Amino acid sequence: MITLEHDRLVFRFPEVHKDATCAIEFQRTLRIPDDGLDYPLPPGMGGFPLRHLDDYARRVPEDWLRRGGVLMPMHQAEAMWINFDSGMYPFAVKIATGKTCALTGDGWINHLNTDPQDYAVLPEQPWLDGCCVAKGIVRQFVAMPLGQGFTVEEQLTGEAEHGGLQLIVYPMKAERYEAMMSEVGPVARSYGPLPSQAEAASAMGLAPGGRMRQEIYEDDYGLDAWDQRQASRCFVTIANSMQWMALTGERPPTEPPTARQYTAAGLPWFDYFGGDLTALEETEKLRGIASVAEIGGANGESPLPEYESIEVDRVIPLRRRESNQVREMSGEVTASS
Amino acid sequence: MTQFGTFVHAARRSLQAGDRRYSLRQVAKRISVEPSYLSKIERGQVAPPSEAATVRLAMELDQDPDVLLALGGKVSSDLQEVIRKRPRLFAQLIRELRDAPDHAVLRIVREVRDGDW
Repeated sequence: MITLEHDRLVFRFPEVHKDATCAIEFQRTLRIPDDGLDYPLPPGMGGFPLRHLDDYARRVPEDWLRRGGVLMPMHQAEAMWINFDSGMYPFAVKIATGKTCALTGDGWINHLNTDPQDYAVLPEQPWLDGCCVAKGIVRQFVAMPLGQGFTVEEQLTGEAEHGGLQLIVYPMKAERYEAMMSEVGPVARSYGPLPSQAEAASAMGLAPGGRMRQEIYEDDYGLDAWDQRQASRCFVTIANSMQWMALTGERPPTEPPTARQYTAAGLPWFDYFGGDLTALEETEKLRGIASVAEIGGANGESPLPEYESIEVDRVIPLRRRESNQVREMSGEVTASS
Repeated sequence: MTQFGTFVHAARRSLQAGDRRYSLRQVAKRISVEPSYLSKIERGQVAPPSEAATVRLAMELDQDPDVLLALGGKVSSDLQEVIRKRPRLFAQLIRELRDAPDHAVLRIVREVRDGDW
């Protein structure tokens, strides 16, 4: 079952194991420059609000309502990353944008594949910031309107049909988890109305932005570890700020500062080291996708404001299993600075 | 010590063991209270702080705000608002679920609906 708690999607599998709970949230962040250079990980600036789509059933288009799930606001060209929190219980998670797998570029299927691996493994994978375009490199998730050719979905399928973000979570088989825990011993757990249907149809999708260093790790447990009979999945419909206000009556979060403003304020970026974990290779499909700036440049347009290169000199290294890791903005920076 | 104070003290000290930023002084500064006040809260010498300060403290200590508010004898204002809108219905619901096991309560929690996609 999936519940919505404090703007987090909480996946529980009590029929599998009492510990089988994980939470997924979508973090606001600054957009890294889309200049071909490889940047460290940008900070988290708080979670995006999430609402049950069904709460606005009378005001959303039928195709939005049919897929269920939740509604999330993003400004055009705003970036985000996905935060995973599973404690000690392992999960396999598939993530797609516009029903196109963020790890392989393949179309959506409701089961796990290993060749190529089309899922991330929790808790080994703490975050996902974008689509895997090279080994150890992702292109940032950036919100763009569907229908303009920027999204991964449009680049790989030629169609602007789905948009949004899709997730499916599979817990580890209970017996496998119990066996693993008996070897490890007890471990302290850290908990850690739209004006018109036509306007509604212009939904948002996720497009590839700038490049950053982030490894996506190979599954060390093996496909047999996952209980594929017990999956829970969710469609996250992305509304632009006008659609969000019209539907919910709430203002969306303010736009984050630019990468230049953030860096000039002396605030840190991050690198993550997964220790002895092996990073996945990119697939041919995703290796070939173009970024928003590249597509805009080819069309003589500048779809992204403020994407000039910056020099990052303050990077905080984070390592696997460090306690209380935070990847958050730890100071004040204003849009006018 | 009160249950609230004991819980806050234990949570903060546990974090402090791995990170010096969780000293009494630094936590107090980040949640905008005086260190002496936070010390008194932890020792149960004063009543738990306001709802806003309790929520800040919960976020700082990576705890569930609703749990910390409950330990302090409070219910968050958004929950109060929910109950005030339909008091009879929610009073009945809460009383009926008083002794229900967790899995039975979870069964009535609203799920995110998966549709056709």
